[in-house]
Formats: sequence, structure tokens, C-alpha cells
Amino acid sequence: MTVWTRSTRHQKAPVRSAEASDQKPIPFALVERNGRGLCLRAVNGAAQKLGLWRGQSQADARAMAPDLVTVPADPAAEALALQRLALWAERFSPCVALMADGPGVEGLALDMTGGTHLFGGETAFIAAFEARLAKAGILARVAMADSLGAAWALARFGGLTQIAPVGGAREALADLPVEALRLDPEAVTLLKRFGLQRIGDLYPLPRAGLARRFRGPRAGAMGLKVVERLDQALGFRAEPVVPVRPPPAYRSFQVFAEPITETAGVALYLPDLAKALAEQLQRDGQGARRLTLTGYRVDGATTSIEAGLSAASAQPSHLLRLLKEKGLEALDLGFGIDALMLSAPVAEASVAQQEGLDGERSATEVAALASLIDRLQAKLGEDAVQTPRPRGSWLPERSEGWDAASNLGFGAFDPVLRPRPILLFHPPERVEAIAELPDSAPARFTWRRVARRVVRAEGPERIAPEWWRLSPASPRPPRTRDYYRIEDETGRRYWLFREGLYGREDQDRTPEWWLHGVFA
Amino acid sequence: MSDLPSFPEGFPLPERGLEEVAAAEPQDLAAALAFALLRVSPEPEKGLRRPGLFVAAKAWLRERGRPFAQGWQMPTPSGCGLIVVAVADERQVIWALEEALKSGAVGGAVAALSAPDFVATRRLAFAAKAGGAAAAILRTTGAEGLSAAWRRWRIGSLASAPQAFDVRAPGPARLRAELTRRRDGLPGVWELEWDDDRRIWRDAKSGPAAAQQARGLRLAAGLARDGLDPFDPASEGSRQVG
Repeated sequence: MTVWTRSTRHQKAPVRSAEASDQKPIPFALVERNGRGLCLRAVNGAAQKLGLWRGQSQADARAMAPDLVTVPADPAAEALALQRLALWAERFSPCVALMADGPGVEGLALDMTGGTHLFGGETAFIAAFEARLAKAGILARVAMADSLGAAWALARFGGLTQIAPVGGAREALADLPVEALRLDPEAVTLLKRFGLQRIGDLYPLPRAGLARRFRGPRAGAMGLKVVERLDQALGFRAEPVVPVRPPPAYRSFQVFAEPITETAGVALYLPDLAKALAEQLQRDGQGARRLTLTGYRVDGATTSIEAGLSAASAQPSHLLRLLKEKGLEALDLGFGIDALMLSAPVAEASVAQQEGLDGERSATEVAALASLIDRLQAKLGEDAVQTPRPRGSWLPERSEGWDAASNLGFGAFDPVLRPRPILLFHPPERVEAIAELPDSAPARFTWRRVARRVVRAEGPERIAPEWWRLSPASPRPPRTRDYYRIEDETGRRYWLFREGLYGREDQDRTPEWWLHGVFA
Repeated sequence: MSDLPSFPEGFPLPERGLEEVAAAEPQDLAAALAFALLRVSPEPEKGLRRPGLFVAAKAWLRERGRPFAQGWQMPTPSGCGLIVVAVADERQVIWALEEALKSGAVGGAVAALSAPDFVATRRLAFAAKAGGAAAAILRTTGAEGLSAAWRRWRIGSLASAPQAFDVRAPGPARLRAELTRRRDGLPGVWELEWDDDRRIWRDAKSGPAAAQQARGLRLAAGLARDGLDPFDPASEGSRQVG
């Protein structure tokens, strides 16, 4: 009894680099060093024909094929390339998952449920998809079936069969080898020892027997795996697909007949995209908090720009302005893009604000401020626009924190009880000071190579060190600070502090004078 | 006592538009900044409370210090929230200031600029008018060159007023504001003094500190006549006892 309809349709694209598409087949392999020395990590078709296989040692392979070309493998770059391809594949489906089962068998899974008619049907879609990948230099096999497992099997072992008809996975898979079930090598060996070569051989076997037969100290899990994998392939057991990034709830899409190679072209289509996105958002009473504009390039890569919003907005003009502020020039169009997506990865409910009854203009003002902060942040960077917030510390540099001014709250500072400077130097600047007594205010000091005579001074305001916040960078404990408000003979007022107490802290270090700020 | 700031006679009240505040000497920058904050705090209208904005290049902030919010308890622009924008260069300072003024979202804005050209100041003046905001360009050096600013000020620090309880301590801050150019009247020079109780700037010549200074002088004169040291607590105590 099948409860699965054609709800999940997948295709796979094993990624192998462009070398495979050479005119004259040269045996080629990527090699990596493992416990057994240099081994083949991936081989191309020509090498496979010569009987080389993945995991073979390089010395053996060389003996079998003297003209084998090998290159050291770069697993990180491979993973990155697959990730990039997955992002690009989002132009066909919002849900794309990586299938990094191992070297040489990487693939992508696309959930194409209800989506193939947009590309002219299943056969046309597969042909177009393969052609696009081939154009980008990627040799891939694409298959489609009801379940992830069946599509995986067809993509790799299916031969000419690329599409399993609805409910036809059982027949389509019957003749494929048992390797197509994504089993451990040991399980495959064991199955073959029993004479079970094809997936179809497993169908008539009693399930309980199949599970029991593979039980054993090590084969226990494996035996379960065989039944589990079979059920996944036939669609009896659910298999979650984890997309490479969550599908955006709101997106608008535009496909072009001819690739666009200039920013002006993007700017031309942007208003329509913004309008379409804003309509979706408004329909649900939502506003975007984050915007992504993604261009899908013809060479299998993507390019994108992002902008953040400090308050949820669904105004097409505001969204448009933000993206322009961010700079469409940042899009790397390469040889052209053939699709453009504007999405709101983060959206939240936007509440309509009341326009005041008594002359208060708060709602419009809040909206104006939010849009101003958005524009400044889009152009200047997220951390360029800040607002101060009080923090619980007496150390001046720690007593206020600077947060990105995005959530539109302003920290309320208590009225100052002590004089505080209008400009603060962070870090403090070293000064040379002379005091009449070790513990008194300075009589003269030199700051920025100008000597100043102190006329009046007030202090000290003693601020004890925060010993509980030892920094690992400096091995010495922090020292007490004595702050003085000082006026020099020209009427300028400074905030100086002496770090350290004479004879009481750090016997080997004399106290030092620093200038921390200037008063009006 | 009324809550209205007691500005000296003839002193132009802060209002919307663009002004230029220059430090007489680079060391007077803190005083100039405090004065610029006063200039961009027009009297708050009922129900209209917009935050203030301070824009400066990152190099400026490194060289001359960053705003310290607790020290800005002297009139912050509109007294309602502060947004500080640190940008890469002066071109961006002008852009950010113009955007902020045009949007009408900020009540007052101060931008640290060294030498804006006439066209830029004219644009800023229009933006301030459009957004109904007060703006001040804070300049480290003297105000040369053409400018579309409504008024141009030169600010110098003055020795502080006497402190009531400690003669050796700096008292309320004082500064000298010279109006070098204005479009609506004659230039002038005023001396202002910070009133810590009412948190306003007031006339340095008529404030309580001035009165107290006079009283202190009288007291000192009287004590000197009596042969007592005015700054010696012992002698003053003995006088009170006697």
C-alpha cells in the first residue's frame, strides 16, 4: 500500500569537475593521502574504463594505467563548489539539499514538487537542467522519482531511465544493483554473498527475515539499515531533506530570455520585483526585516547583495531605495544572469501605527527614523550607525555600550552625579605629569608634546579596578585609577587619571598618568 | 525662576537651519562641540521629540575623541536619544548629514567637517530647511571660505567660574562665543556659562556665579579689612564664632 503520491520529486547531480568533459578521454584522478598512502579520491570516466576505482592506491593505479594524470584533491574547495552550485540550483526550486555522501558521489537534491510544469514538464526540465550544467562545464546525471532514495539510485545506476513514473519506483528500481540503495560496503558484500544482486531480489524476501539475517554484533545496525534504505527508496519511510538554506517565505522571481550583463538591466527589473514582493508581504500583514537580491549567473554561480531593515517594511519604494543605496554595482554579473530573485529571508508582522490625534506625529516620525537608519546602514555598514546604552560599570570606557541603532530604542542615562567629559579618548592617551605630592593632582603635564600648567584641579575620584574581569592579554592585575578634573592656564579642561597607587599596587611599577577625556 | 534659558541680551536663540561652529584653536574643540550641541537644540515643541545625530569620520573620532554620552547631559540635540554615525571620510559625512536632515527624522545634527565647499553647505542648508531640523557643522579650524551657513561662530574656552565650595577646583564651564558672520544682523561676542542645576547655558556676566563671585570679592575685601585670610577655614570659623 503506497501512501506516497508524487509529492517528492528529486533529481541529483553528481559533481565532477570539468576535466571529464574533455574531447579525448585522458584517465584522470584526484588523489589524497590517507592511512594507506596516496589513494585515488575520485576518477573520471576514462579512468573508470581502465578499471581504476575510488580508494585504489596511486601506485597500483599507475601500474594499471601509466598515463594516468593525478592532481592532489582539495576537499574544502570541493565542498565549497558544491555549496555554490546548490545556491545556484535554487533558481529551479526553493528547497535544495546537499548530498555529500562522500568523494566522487556528491549530489544535489531538489524538491520539485509541483514545480516542473514551470519548465515545460518533467522531461523538458531534466533536459534543460542537464544542458545548463553542461554549459557550465559540469557533467551531471539528473533523475527524478517519487522518493529521495529512488532518485538517488536512478541518478547513479539508472542507465537510460531518468524518470520513474508516479508510483513506479518499485519497477524502476527492481533491476538496479543493491549498491543503489546507499548501503555500507560491508552490507553490499554480505548481500552479494547471499546471491542478492539486484534490488528486485529483496522484494520477495520476508522483511522480518531480512532484518534478522543481517543481525549480529556488527551487522545489527547494518541489517536494519538494509530494510530502512529499501523502505526509503520505495517511499514507505519518510526521509527529511535539509535545505542548504531555509527557503524564503517571501520571494519574487524574474527569469530572462537573454542573459543580462549590465547593472542597468537589473535596475530596470528591480521595481517590478520589489512591487511583487511587497504585495506578498502586505497580503500577509508582514514586513521585511532583511532583503536579499540574488542573481543567477549562466555559469552556474550566484551573486547577491543583502540589506537589513531596522523596522519591518513592505513599502516597494523603501525596499527599492535600500537596495540602490547598497549598490547594485556590487553584483558580479559575470557573463550575465538569466534569473533574478528578490527575497525576504526575515520577515515579521508589521503593525499599522496610528497617526496622532493630538498633534503627535510619533508614528510617522518613528517610520521616518527607521527608514533613515536603514539607509545609513545600507550605505555605511551595519556597525557605522550606533546609539549609546548605559552599562553597569564605573570604568568610563565600560560604562556605556555602543549598539547598532537598529531596534529603535534609546538607552536612558541617569542624570550625571559626577562631571564627565564631552569627548572621551579610547584608549586613553599617555601624558607626562609632575605632581607636588605623590598622591596629589598634577601641577604640570605634557599632552601631545605641549606642556600645560595646571591652574585648578578637582579630585581625586577614585575608581577601583574590576578585578573580577581579568583580561588574559595582560598578566598583571588592573590598577586603581584616581581621576582629576583639571583646568590649565588657557581655560581648557581635561580629565586625567593616575593609574596605580604609590607603594601599594605593583611595587615594581610606578604609577602612570593618562588623559582620558576633555570637558567643554 | 523661569525655565527659559537666560541667554545674554542680543544672543540669537537656537533655531532651525544650518550654522557653522569653529573652534578658535584646535584645543577649543570640546567647547565648540558643547556650543554646537546648544545651537542644534531648538526649544522642544510639544509632542515633537526627535533624536539627535552626530556624524564624524572615523579618523576624527580616533584623533579627537569619541562622544561620551554621559558627558552629553548638557543639551543633547532635542534631549531625546542620540545616534552616532562613524563614517570613512568627509564625503560620507556630508552625505549622511544631508540624508538625516532631509528625512526629517532627526531634530538636530552635528557633523564634524574640516572644509566643506560652498555647494555642499548650500545643499545642507536646503536639507535642514526641508526637514525642519537644526544642523551645525563643527570645524576644527577657523571658518574661512564661502559658506551657506546662516551663522558662523568662533568658540574659545575661558577659565571657569569660581566653584562655590572649593576655590581650587574648576567651576562651571565658560566659553566665549564670537558670532563672526550672520545673515540677519550684526556680529557680536558673548560669554556663556554652564548652569549645572538647570542644565542650560546662561549669560556669564549676570549668572549667580558672577553674583557669587562679586559677593566673594566683597567678602574677601571685608575679611582683608579685618585682617583675616579668606581662604583659611580656621580664620573664617573663628570669625563666625567671634
